[in-house]
Amino acid sequence: MSHPLRRRPTAGWRPRFRWVPTLALLGIGTLGVTMAVGVTGTVVRSGPPASALGAPAPALTGRSLTGTPVDLADLRGRVVLVNLFASWCGPCRAELPLLVAAQRRWAARDLRVLGLAVRDGETAVRALLAETGATDLTVVPDPTGATAVSWGAAGVPETFLVDDQGRIADRATGPVTAEWLDRRLTRLLGAP
Amino acid sequence: MRPRQAAKAVVLLVLLLGAALGVYRSARVAGDDDPARRLAAGLRCPACQGESVADSRSPIAAAMREVIADQLQAGHSPAEVRTYLVSRYGAEILAAPPARGWGLLLWLVPALALGIGTGSALRGHRRTRRYRHTPVPATRPAPVRSGTARPEDRTRRAIAAGGIWNAGAVAVLALVGGVAVAAPHLTAVPRPAAAPDPVASADPVLDLLALARTAEGQGRYEAAAQMYRTALAQRPDDEIRLRLAFTLIRTGRSAEAARLAETVLAGRPDAPDALLMLGLAQRDTDPATSTRTLRRFLDRAPGHPAAAEIRRLVEAG
Repeated sequence: MSHPLRRRPTAGWRPRFRWVPTLALLGIGTLGVTMAVGVTGTVVRSGPPASALGAPAPALTGRSLTGTPVDLADLRGRVVLVNLFASWCGPCRAELPLLVAAQRRWAARDLRVLGLAVRDGETAVRALLAETGATDLTVVPDPTGATAVSWGAAGVPETFLVDDQGRIADRATGPVTAEWLDRRLTRLLGAP
Repeated sequence: MRPRQAAKAVVLLVLLLGAALGVYRSARVAGDDDPARRLAAGLRCPACQGESVADSRSPIAAAMREVIADQLQAGHSPAEVRTYLVSRYGAEILAAPPARGWGLLLWLVPALALGIGTGSALRGHRRTRRYRHTPVPATRPAPVRSGTARPEDRTRRAIAAGGIWNAGAVAVLALVGGVAVAAPHLTAVPRPAAAPDPVASADPVLDLLALARTAEGQGRYEAAAQMYRTALAQRPDDEIRLRLAFTLIRTGRSAEAARLAETVLAGRPDAPDALLMLGLAQRDTDPATSTRTLRRFLDRAPGHPAAAEIRRLVEAG
């Protein structure tokens, strides 16, 4: 049995060690199954995220800095710009005047701008609004950032455009430009 | 042959230990028993490159950690919290790739490579071993080193050695598989068996205040002030205002502290603690007014725990 092995190893190799490839296959199988089990434990659900374009906008409720209750759902029928900002964020500082200008420009078309002050102190936010001339913005504090997380925000600034049906029409991660606002708002509301 | 076999056994042992250690360390997140941290470690920070939510210092990662902690404390399971975050950010935030589409390939390639590699290594090993141990012709004397061993003995030993390798390979595979299966269940183990304290879980502000007090105790006044501010934003409460004022005095921002104390005094003109904070805040800028305020404090609350100290201060200055 062993002598022909020298010339043709496979011939003698077969009878006694044919289980080796089986073992390897078994190994692949085991790994595949265990990983599948591990992964099903990991991926619970993965559809489009809640803040994907076209999805209904997540909830945004709270009390504004001036003390008035704010609920995005009450603004159905109007186009709303939701801007996530913070006083500790430089680009937000530069962006706020653009948002104020947009709110003024499209005031006749009922545009609302809602600011969400992410992980910030009220005093600092008030100071920032005063400094940037943005005191007419409706700002809802989000001290823990939980609302920003529920919107799937990657950071600040981030801007969501919510259409009159309450759906997310557009989204800008990072600061918006005057052109961005102009193009998006004109498409939804018409020229100011 | 014996030393060589012993060396092989040692190598095998080292490999097994290494595999066990590696698998253990990757299944457990860097020696942490906190389920919130473990969950955060399995999520990619959406604002940064290659950092987990647990490690990132970005504010959004901090917010996500807070959401995770809050939801776990509210009694949600780690899987539910993960589902929530995936529903917000999409499957991309999972550190482990999803097992479908291209993600499946990421899982299959290493598994296949490992399987094929193990298979061919075993095969190659077998082949050389068989070749080496083909019985020597009877005319040739047995090598001196092998001592009393006869060819049959050697073959038996060779098979035994092959058995060790095979057993080792099977053990490694079984270990990897076993830990991979057990890992998701291990994650759930450290969850507190008892229902979380309803008072603590219902009120994040109380938790925040406790954290702030701890930070204050450790001398981290800046961090404590930030937490008091956050707590104050959620609940405009006089007691929190005064805690913040005291922290601010200690960091030298007495003007802001004085404003806070005045806010409290506007509502309750004789609140002793507010008078105390205002008096202390005024000490740097206006010693005369400070003394007057502190005297008012002593009039209102002669039995206050701080009264003796303040009396000394007022009499000295």
